[in-house]
Amino acid sequence: MTPTLLGRWQTRILLFSTVGVLITLPFGMGIIGPGGAVFFWVLLYLALFGLGWDIFYQYLQKLRWDSDWPGVLQLLAGIWEAVFVALLVKIFGLPGVPQDLSLEWFLLNYSFVWLGVYVASQTIMRILFPRWRFRGGQWL
Amino acid sequence: MNSSSMQIRLTWEDLTTGESREPTLNVPVGLGREFSQIPTEVNGRRVSRIALNSVEVSRFHALIDLEQNQVVVIDQNSSNGIFINGQRQTRSAIANGDTLQIGPYQITVTYAAITQQPPSPPSGNSQILFNPDTNLPDPRLNQPAPAPVIPTSGSFPPPSFADVQVEVQDLYATGLPVDEIDYATIGAGLGSFVWVDFLRIFGVKAEKIAALGIEEQPYARYKRLCLNSQIPLHERLRSNSDSCPDNIWGWPSYALREAWHDFFGGRLGEMLRKLWQVFAEPTFAETYTPRAGNVFNSIDREAARIGWNQIFRYARVRAIRKTTDGRYAIAYSRMGARNYAFIVARYVHLAIGYPAIQFLPDLQAYREKTDDFKSVVNAYEDHNHVYQHLESNGGTVLIRGRGIVASRIVQRIYEARQRNQNITLLHLMRSAKPQGNKYGSAQRRVENHYEFQPFNWPKAAWGGELRAILEKADPQQRQSLLADWGGTTTADRSDWRRIVAEGIRQGWYKIEFGEVERVERDPDGVVTYIKEKGFKGEMRLLANFIIDATGLDAKAKCSPLLDDLVSHYNLPLNHLGRMVVANNFELVEMRNRSGRMYAAGASLLGGPYAPVDSFLGLQYAALRSVDSLAVDRSPATHRLNPISSFSQWLKWALNHSP
Ligand SMILES: Cc1cc2nc3c(=O)[nH]c(=O)nc-3n(C[C@H](O)[C@H](O)[C@H](O)COP(=O)(O)OP(=O)(O)OC[C@H]3O[C@@H](n4cnc5c(N)ncnc54)[C@H](O)[C@@H]3O)c2cc1C
Repeated sequence: MTPTLLGRWQTRILLFSTVGVLITLPFGMGIIGPGGAVFFWVLLYLALFGLGWDIFYQYLQKLRWDSDWPGVLQLLAGIWEAVFVALLVKIFGLPGVPQDLSLEWFLLNYSFVWLGVYVASQTIMRILFPRWRFRGGQWL
Repeated sequence: MNSSSMQIRLTWEDLTTGESREPTLNVPVGLGREFSQIPTEVNGRRVSRIALNSVEVSRFHALIDLEQNQVVVIDQNSSNGIFINGQRQTRSAIANGDTLQIGPYQITVTYAAITQQPPSPPSGNSQILFNPDTNLPDPRLNQPAPAPVIPTSGSFPPPSFADVQVEVQDLYATGLPVDEIDYATIGAGLGSFVWVDFLRIFGVKAEKIAALGIEEQPYARYKRLCLNSQIPLHERLRSNSDSCPDNIWGWPSYALREAWHDFFGGRLGEMLRKLWQVFAEPTFAETYTPRAGNVFNSIDREAARIGWNQIFRYARVRAIRKTTDGRYAIAYSRMGARNYAFIVARYVHLAIGYPAIQFLPDLQAYREKTDDFKSVVNAYEDHNHVYQHLESNGGTVLIRGRGIVASRIVQRIYEARQRNQNITLLHLMRSAKPQGNKYGSAQRRVENHYEFQPFNWPKAAWGGELRAILEKADPQQRQSLLADWGGTTTADRSDWRRIVAEGIRQGWYKIEFGEVERVERDPDGVVTYIKEKGFKGEMRLLANFIIDATGLDAKAKCSPLLDDLVSHYNLPLNHLGRMVVANNFELVEMRNRSGRMYAAGASLLGGPYAPVDSFLGLQYAALRSVDSLAVDRSPATHRLNPISSFSQWLKWALNHSP
């Protein structure tokens, strides 16, 4: 991937609000795990903080000769984003997310979300939006 | 030496095209990014000014002058400094043959006043043209035939082609066959194929499109150039996994397709390796690239799906003119002598590939003098006799150039050495490459004077930030961006790096640096005379064969068809002598009421998009131009939206016609 900042933002918002929500539904409804709106809150925070991290990633990307962002870096970034939100919750708590959030269920939910978003960005995004890959991830 | 008449020659490679620049200049010489910032005079003497395009070069970067009969270079407070033979210097004497590095440019300095120039090789660059009948590179063809300026009656194209616009009736009046069609693409190579693929997927019927070219297989010329430059069918190309000329979405990519076959073939390890490659490349894994044969097979399948055999027409296109009714008349010859015809189309696409192959002038001079076309060859010509000879008799090969093609040839020689150990390889490079190009805070990697990059441009030039930056830039800025991102690079393949390291260690592979003076025949082979650094004297490199692996050339004037179009319609050319297009690849000056003309491929280098000459670049060009046709509501085109895109993809997957 060779994203631009606008592309990162647009893709993140689209995929979190579709694939992310779909994957979180069974968690929120209690089909998987304890259930509760907290899963959606966490998803929202991941997406929101992510918009900020994207600016930082874009800076790092400029240090790379090809100005690209391979899947491995996407994975590392995903791990970091999860650690960051988990730390915030555990240390300060976040509105809508109590400090006693179950880390196991959070991790399980988040792993699925990350995988779902990654796979969607590599497959269905290309098929639905043929111009997406030439515009650094902008689909609008 | 007389200081008032001291001359030096500076030699460097244009970073975008690889062409050689070698002006001879009176000292003092000023070098910088902006011509206007270089002083016109120092101490009352006129300065020869040279503009070097790159953001790594300061506005006025360096002055070369004479001090006490010594040539010196003085840094003009530049931000990135001057490196002389790899060492940073602010003020230093330069000896004959020294290399100055200024930003990404490696400039060799030679004293013209004391070097007795032998009858010098033709300056500038020489070419090998493609034979219009056989489509093969043909070294015996001389300069392109000049286009008929004033056609006479009975000649072809007919006299009406001297006008700015032709009447369609006049074409019928010639009695020659005339066809009218909506869409025509010229070349019928990969660029044409990809454009037609988009049109078909956007809803245009096969019978509305004509692809005019010399060979029906869209990859015919490409495959031949691959085979000649030692990429056999089982070898891997230098191409991204999702650059798929047979699939406009790039999904499934070639890596996924290979992984799929590995899975069903029970090769799970291989499958995982490929998936890991595309997940981690280029930083944590070697970049995946598809096998040549797989790419050709996939194009065959897509060609059958879109009805290419109905679209292709054998045609050697001679000239294109605007018609008075807002279309374009294309004059072409068919098989056999004096078999001419016309096509009139409203939308025309030009994708004629490389007009010619670049050939080093000193090698061209050798060939002209000796008529020896066997010992001195270009890598893109059929030169298998070289390897056959080496495998049975041993010998020495000298390679010129250090890009991807040179790497392929080094690999081929390595393979030949498995059959005959008496083969040695000399690699002649113009100058050392101590460090890679820089852009912003990023720098390209160098090892053993090879500069590495996965593809021929930084990846983000196809669809990332660099693409957007270049498109926004003005023509002046584009020159320096392209110089910073360009330059000769090769792929970071572990097998190639191992071969190079092993060859150097075992002594059968040697890298030499120097400027070639001349190439001459010798009873024992071919001798290349080069100037040695510091003017210690002339060095002789004896070899049985010389292979020029320096590159391809695509100046518009090398193609009779483009040359005629450019001169007839006064079309602008860019700083590299290539065609100028808008961001949507339209040749704006050729607009003819509702008629539109677009272009793609190597003949657009230097414009708004860097990787014009690549599969994915051809797809980008096709997408932009077909999108703009759809916006203009040209017949039967429908801009793809997510739903139609998905349904077209399903048709692709099920191998149904679009
Ligand atoms: C050795 C080699 C390896 C490459 N590897 C890759 C790679 O791995 N990945 C990648 O993305 N790109 C690669 N490229 C670059 C590029 O993708 C190919 O060169 C591609 O073939 C370019 O397509 P094209 O349509 O511009 O030219 P071509 O495919 O060469 O087609 C142009 C056609 O136009 C015809 N033509 C010219 N003039 C006329 C006329 N007047 N009338 C009729 N027909 C005419 C020619 O005969 C030719 O067949 C490679 C190039 C070379 C040379």
